[in-house]
Amino acid sequence: MIALEAKKLTKRFGQKTAVDSLDLQAEKGELLALLGVNGAGKTTTVRMFTCLSRPTEGEAFVNGMSVLTEQTKIKEIVGISPQDTAVSPLLTVRENLEMMARVCGEDAAGAKAAAGKMIALFRMEKEENTRAKTLSGGWQRRLSIAMALIGDPEVLFLDEPTLGLDVLARRELWQVIRALKGTVTVVLTTHYMEEAEALADRIAVMADGHLLTSGTLEELEKETGETGLENAFIALVERRGGNE
Amino acid sequence: MSNRVRAFASRNLKELLRDPLSYIFCLAFPLGMLIVMTLVDTSVPAEAGVTSFRIWNLTPGVAVFGQTFVMLFTALTVSKDRGSSFLVRMYASPMRSADFVFGYILPMLGIALAQAVITAAAGFVIGLIRGVSLSFPGILLCILTLLPSAVLMISLGLLFGTLFSEKAAPGLCSVLISLGSFLGGIWFDIESTGGVLLTVARCFPFVYCTRSARSALNLQLSFSDYGLPLLITVLFCAAFTALACFVFRSRMRADLA
Repeated sequence: MIALEAKKLTKRFGQKTAVDSLDLQAEKGELLALLGVNGAGKTTTVRMFTCLSRPTEGEAFVNGMSVLTEQTKIKEIVGISPQDTAVSPLLTVRENLEMMARVCGEDAAGAKAAAGKMIALFRMEKEENTRAKTLSGGWQRRLSIAMALIGDPEVLFLDEPTLGLDVLARRELWQVIRALKGTVTVVLTTHYMEEAEALADRIAVMADGHLLTSGTLEELEKETGETGLENAFIALVERRGGNE
Repeated sequence: MSNRVRAFASRNLKELLRDPLSYIFCLAFPLGMLIVMTLVDTSVPAEAGVTSFRIWNLTPGVAVFGQTFVMLFTALTVSKDRGSSFLVRMYASPMRSADFVFGYILPMLGIALAQAVITAAAGFVIGLIRGVSLSFPGILLCILTLLPSAVLMISLGLLFGTLFSEKAAPGLCSVLISLGSFLGGIWFDIESTGGVLLTVARCFPFVYCTRSARSALNLQLSFSDYGLPLLITVLFCAAFTALACFVFRSRMRADLA
């Protein structure tokens, strides 16, 4: 079953085209890594799927619902961890999580239980009563991702989730993301090739707003004749540069 | 009230109550002014005829002055949220523009109400020290009368916080605070000035907020003393609240375009 689908999805900001006629699909429960150099259009694509930005042309669907006409329903089933850490600074870790759970529709008891679950999942027991403002960047990022997950989203968008995390925190987060595979559809944008290699079922490569290719790692290697994602990615992007 | 509004309002209240600056500006500064101006009043000879610093006039004036700082903190909270990724996350949640607006207004209204009660209590105590007893019905009516002006100030804060950045909004609110305390007749009897100053003052809501609160405290409840200024305050309140809601909704739509 298709969970995410973009049909000729386009976004223009004045004269600049950030995303150009993007056709993309992700199966339910699949983890799709969206790769691209800076300005490739990854974040804009995520913003359109999460109803944070309206497409200029084309359409996108989340679990069959249109981002143009069913925004409220889509917002009830998606979670997003934005590129920048998005937490309420003077609230504690637990308060941030409970607040988000209640915004997602939980009552007080449900929010408390959901927050406890996330605190355990992200190993934040020691920090649960610490104000977000005083957490290190890595812990704030964990909290931000936990807040994206707390409403039990059917589709989760992680925009560069491990940026700024140390290697141990990154690996721990990978474990959490891996555990979601199969039940939650995850779209992960990242600049770390090893992250996409370790986590993604399929990889989509974007450049200058265009989708260059999408497929499994093996398919990308076969297409480019290179070994490893980093080499395949560079080959794809350079080929695109050479064609222009 | 929906779960979402409660959750967001509770978050905003906690953010405000945990910011030490809000105690300094929303509470300590107005109370300090109440004490300082009372001391000034003791130094002004009775024959000068200055009545603005008498405790029955000063307390409602300072209460309105304090509300202008609630406006400042509303603007700060909204502009700070708008400049951070936090609002991006909230925009991606099922929250609607009305949820945001109520979520900002309700906790600020609670703060403004607490501020009015504390100012009135301080005014009562200072009055007792100076041998003047402010009437309880007058105090209660004054606190109720201050509600529309509180909503007005919060709406102005919401408007400034929505339209301007975290850096610009507080500066512009400071201009409005100065304007409000000057044209509101808080520190001097603006009604006795006449001319252009009075005409200009009557174009802004502050003078009506102060006048209705003063009349309420002193139980001067004629239409001209109380009813009319209160009615004008309510009209300003309704107009600016509607404008703030409209502007917030429009900016939210523009952000999501």
